Amino acid sequence: MNSNETVSDDAELLERIRNGATDDFAEIVRRHQSRVFAILHRYERDAHKVEDLAQETFVKAWRALEQFDGRAPFEHWLSRVATRVALDHLRREKRRQNEIRLPELGDDALDWLRSDDEKNELDARSAAELLDLAMRELSPLDRVVITMQEIEGCSVKEICAATGASGVAVRVRALRARGKLRRVLEKLMKDENE
Amino acid sequence: MNKRKLNRLFELVRSEPAPVPREDFAADVLRAVHREPPVTAPEALAISDQLIRLFPRLVFAAALVIVLCVAVDFGLTAAGVPGLGDGLAQISAQWLLTPDEFRL
Repeated sequence: MNSNETVSDDAELLERIRNGATDDFAEIVRRHQSRVFAILHRYERDAHKVEDLAQETFVKAWRALEQFDGRAPFEHWLSRVATRVALDHLRREKRRQNEIRLPELGDDALDWLRSDDEKNELDARSAAELLDLAMRELSPLDRVVITMQEIEGCSVKEICAATGASGVAVRVRALRARGKLRRVLEKLMKDENE
Repeated sequence: MNKRKLNRLFELVRSEPAPVPREDFAADVLRAVHREPPVTAPEALAISDQLIRLFPRLVFAAALVIVLCVAVDFGLTAAGVPGLGDGLAQISAQWLLTPDEFRL
């Protein structure tokens, strides 16, 4: 029987890892990989890149394992590591934004944007592509703030912890990002109409 | 783009499933971790430890200040200017330790 099966608690498993059971870290990865992939997927559409970023997240978590003091659940701490990896990734991408060819908007997304009919629905994938395109106009930090607030449903306190920004700054950024997103989506609608 | 429509967009995006990790993803991470140096507890330094670490520098700085003061004093004496010690004694004698002189 795998010894990991007997360890139900993250804290206990982490203690064993700290005491030298390095291989038990694979169990930590298995337990939390879905959550990490879900977070990173909010910021990167390419599945291969998401996997690279997820690996970077776990390696960074490994390096910083001694800093985890166990006061909050390990999942929360790991989510913060993943968010910071995503933020660094967005900053790198922003720097080379001119080299990236932007994806074209599909007809479904355009129809949905133009339509005032509430019955006109959009599938989740097209919606995510549309939002991703609009989000590229935001600063990396604004993007993380609005994604954590609106998509992940995080509290201001959680966003502060993940980004290092103050509560006031988070609220201001969220408000500003929403306004900018609306303007960008309106512009996308007009550009595609022309 | 009204507020309601933007909220609907967020709602739709929330429902998008994330990519599923490969079966051997954890094994890949473990291989990467094995290439990393072992996890060690950060060295917790008490104030006394930090002072001991700084001790050679503190001693050096204090010795430097003393040597500078002595050198300046010697230099002033050699130049015929009253030394620092004399100057201080004079000032204290004139101003600080003779309150009677301030009485009208």
